[in-house]
Amino acid sequence: MKEFNIVLAGVGGQGVLLAAEILGTAAVKDELNVRVSEIHGMAQRGGAVVSTVRIGDAVRAPTVLDGHADVLLGFEPLETLRNLKYASRKTHVIMNPEKIPPTELAAKNLKYPSLEEVRQKISRFTGKIIVVHAVQLAKEAGSSLAQNSVLVGAVAVVASFPVKVESVLEALKELVPARHVEENVRAFQLGYGAVKKERVG
Amino acid sequence: MPDLRVLLLDSAKKRVLLLGNEAIARGILEAGISVVTTYPGTPASEIGDSISAVASEAGLYMEYSTNEMVAVEVAAGAANCGVRCLTAMKHVGLNVAADAVMTLAYVGVRGGYVIVTADDPECYSSQNEQDSRFYALFSNLPCLEPSDPQEAKDMTLAAVEISEELGLPVLLRTTTRVSHTRGPVVLGELAEPNLKGDLIRDVKRMVMVPAHARLMHERLLEKVEKAKELSEASSFNMVTREGKSGVGIISSSGAYNYAVEAVELLGLDAGILKLGMTHPLPEKMITEFLGRHKKVIVVEELEPYLELQVKAVAKDYAPNVEVYGKMARPYFPRKGELSTRSVAQGLAEIIGKKLPLDFAGLDSAFADIMKDLPARPPILCAGCPHRASFFVMKKVGGEAAAYPTDIGCYALGTAPPLCVGDLLICMGSSIGTAQGISRVTGRNTIATLGDSTFFHAAIPGLVNAVYNNAKVTLVVLDNTTTAMTGHQPHPGTGMTGMGTRSEKVSIERVAEGCGVKYVRTADPFKVKEASAVLKKALQQPGPSVVVFRAPCVLLSVRERRRQGIKVMPFKVTDKCTDCMTCIRLLGCPALVVVDGKVRVDEALCTACGLCASVCPYGAIEGRRLE
Repeated sequence: MKEFNIVLAGVGGQGVLLAAEILGTAAVKDELNVRVSEIHGMAQRGGAVVSTVRIGDAVRAPTVLDGHADVLLGFEPLETLRNLKYASRKTHVIMNPEKIPPTELAAKNLKYPSLEEVRQKISRFTGKIIVVHAVQLAKEAGSSLAQNSVLVGAVAVVASFPVKVESVLEALKELVPARHVEENVRAFQLGYGAVKKERVG
Repeated sequence: MPDLRVLLLDSAKKRVLLLGNEAIARGILEAGISVVTTYPGTPASEIGDSISAVASEAGLYMEYSTNEMVAVEVAAGAANCGVRCLTAMKHVGLNVAADAVMTLAYVGVRGGYVIVTADDPECYSSQNEQDSRFYALFSNLPCLEPSDPQEAKDMTLAAVEISEELGLPVLLRTTTRVSHTRGPVVLGELAEPNLKGDLIRDVKRMVMVPAHARLMHERLLEKVEKAKELSEASSFNMVTREGKSGVGIISSSGAYNYAVEAVELLGLDAGILKLGMTHPLPEKMITEFLGRHKKVIVVEELEPYLELQVKAVAKDYAPNVEVYGKMARPYFPRKGELSTRSVAQGLAEIIGKKLPLDFAGLDSAFADIMKDLPARPPILCAGCPHRASFFVMKKVGGEAAAYPTDIGCYALGTAPPLCVGDLLICMGSSIGTAQGISRVTGRNTIATLGDSTFFHAAIPGLVNAVYNNAKVTLVVLDNTTTAMTGHQPHPGTGMTGMGTRSEKVSIERVAEGCGVKYVRTADPFKVKEASAVLKKALQQPGPSVVVFRAPCVLLSVRERRRQGIKVMPFKVTDKCTDCMTCIRLLGCPALVVVDGKVRVDEALCTACGLCASVCPYGAIEGRRLE
C-alpha cells in the first residue's frame, strides 16, 4: 500500500490531538501501520497546534514531508494557511471556516483575511478545497465541542483514505468522553454526510 | 483523556496504538519495575502520569518527587535494595540529577534501574536543546535510544536486563518525536511487581568516600568493557539495509526514520547501520561496516555524538573510509530537529545527486503565504491568574524594576503586552539571578516562579537571600498545580502520585522557616489588595516573599463543569470609549476587537473579571466567579 498522510492543524483547545488519535487508532484496528505526531506542553497553550497521521507499510517518520499531505485538515482558516507547505496538487484541503482571531490581530489592529482571500491562497497549492462548517454541524449534533468529530467524519469520505469508516467510528466511540459519545457520533455522521454530497475523488 | 487502562490489558500479542511515553509505561509494567519516580517535564511527563493512573491497581509504587535529583536518589536507594526502579525526566532534569547520577555510576545497583531522559530537539517546550547522550559518555552509563513506540517499550525491558547484568543504571534516551509519537505496539506479558527489598551492607561498594571511590571507578571501567560486549551482541545494533553503491549510513533514534525515508526518496542503494545501544558503541560492528563502504554518512539529531566516535574508530581501524556528518563540513543541521527533507538534502549533497522534488518552488509559494500571516504563539489562557499577577507586578514595579523569571507557564508573561520577564535560565534560577541583579543595579528586583518550581529548586536560593541579606522580592505564582506539564500534584497540593492524600507543605511556612521576615499572601485578581501587598514587600530592607494564590483556570473550568456551574461571561457596555486600555494592558484571548469595538468572546470568557478592574471607564461589567 502507498502511504496516506494527514496533517491536522488548529488552535489549542479545538480537539486536534484527539482527532489524530482517533484516526491513528482506527488504522490500528484495520491492522495498518501508522505514526501519529503530537506536540504537548508549552507549545500548546492557546497556540497553533499541528498533528500528523501517516498510514502505510513503509511509514517510519512521524512527520510529513513538505508537499506530501493527502489531506490537510484545517480546524481554522489561518492555521490551514500556516500549514500549506504540506500541500500540493494532490492534496484535499478540508477546512472549517470558523475564524479564531489570534490576539496579535487586536493588539496590532490588523484585519482577519476574508474567506475568499483564504480560498485564493489555498488554490495556489491545490484546487481540491472542501469547506465543512464544523462548528455549525457540531452544534446541530448537540455540542460545539464535537467539531473535531465532524472533521474526522469528513476525512473518512476521501476515496483514497485507507481505513474503513466503521473502524473510524468504533475508535471515536472508544476515545471521546463516555458522556458525549452520542453527540460525537452524530457530529461524525453530519461531517461525513456533508462531504459525501460533494463526491470527493 | 485517553483510557490509560489499556496499559493494564492482560492480553499479550495484542496490537494497540500507544504514545511513545505510554509504551515506556507499558514496558515498566511488563518488566516488573516496582518503584517509579519522576518530576514532570515535557516531553517526558506522560511516563509518570500513565504510571500514576495505574500504580495502585498494578501494585507498584510511584511518586512525583520534588525534583529530578531527589527522584534519582529515592530510586537509587530502592534499587540498591534489589528492587527494580525507573526514573523519568526531561533532558534538563538530568542536569539537576547529574550529581547523583555521576557517582551512582560508581556505586551501581542491585535491582535493575533505568533512567529515562527525553530530549527536545527544536525546543518545542524547553529552554535548551542539549544532547543528553553525552551524559552516557560522561558518566560511563550504558545508553539505549529507541526510534519508535514499539522500541521504546522493548528497550525499557532490555534496559532492566542490561542494568542487572552489569549492576549499573542504564540511560534510556528519547526525543520529542519518540516520546510524543503514537504507533502500533505489540503487548507482552504483564509482570508481577516486587516491592520488597533488603539492604545488604557492602560499604566498599556503596559508601563513596575517596578510598572506595578510587576502587569503584576502576570497577566501573571494567563494567564498561563488559557493556561493550553486550553492545556488540545487542539485537538493537544491526544492519537494517544492505547496499551495493559503497555508501553506508549510520543512524540512531528518530533520525534513523528520516534516514530510511530519505534513502527511499532519493532511490539510493545504500547500506544502513541502525544503532539502538549508543553507549558504549559496538566498535567491532562499526569497524566492519566502515570496511564494507567507501563513504559512510552519520545521520543524527543535535550534536555529532556518533560522528565523533565513528571518526575515532575510522582513524584507528578504517582510515581510508570517508566519514560525513556535521563536523568538518556541516551537511546536516546541528540545531533543531531533523526531517526527511533535511536528511535527504544532506545525503543528496554528499553523493552529488539531484533531489527528485522541487522544494524551491514550494518554498517560495509558501514564503508568500507566510509573509503577512499573523503569528499564533502560545499565550496565557483566558482567565489565567498569572495575567493578573503580571498586571499587578507591572503596576507596582513599573519599567524601573527588574523581573527575573523562571520555568513554567508564566514564562509566557514575557511576551507583549505584559512584558514581564528579563532573565530566564533554568528551574529555580529567578531567585538566584535576582540577587545578582539587585546587588549590582540597585533596582527593585521582583523574581517570579511557580508553586511546583518553588519546591523543586527555589529553597536554597531563598536561604541564600536571607543569609546574604539580598534585597529581592520573590513572587510565588501559586496556581495550586504543576500546570504546564499537565496538572501533576506537588508537595503543596496535598495529593501524591499514588492518588492518596498527604500533608500539604505550606509555601509561606517554608519561606518563614528559611528566615524571610515579610511573607504575605494575596489573590492576584483582587488588584488593589495584591498591589498593596507587593508595594510593601518592595519596601522591605531584606528579602520578601509574596504568594499570589489563585488556581489554574483550566482546573477551575473543569471543576465548574463537573459541578454544573454556569459561567456568565462579562459584557462590554456602551460606556466603552474604544480606548483599548484592556487590549493594550492584558492581551486576554477573550477580549477581541470587532470592527474597531472591544467585545468579550463569550465562549472563552471565564468571568475572572480582570478586564473590568483595569477598564478606566467602568465599561466592562459582570460578576466575578471565584
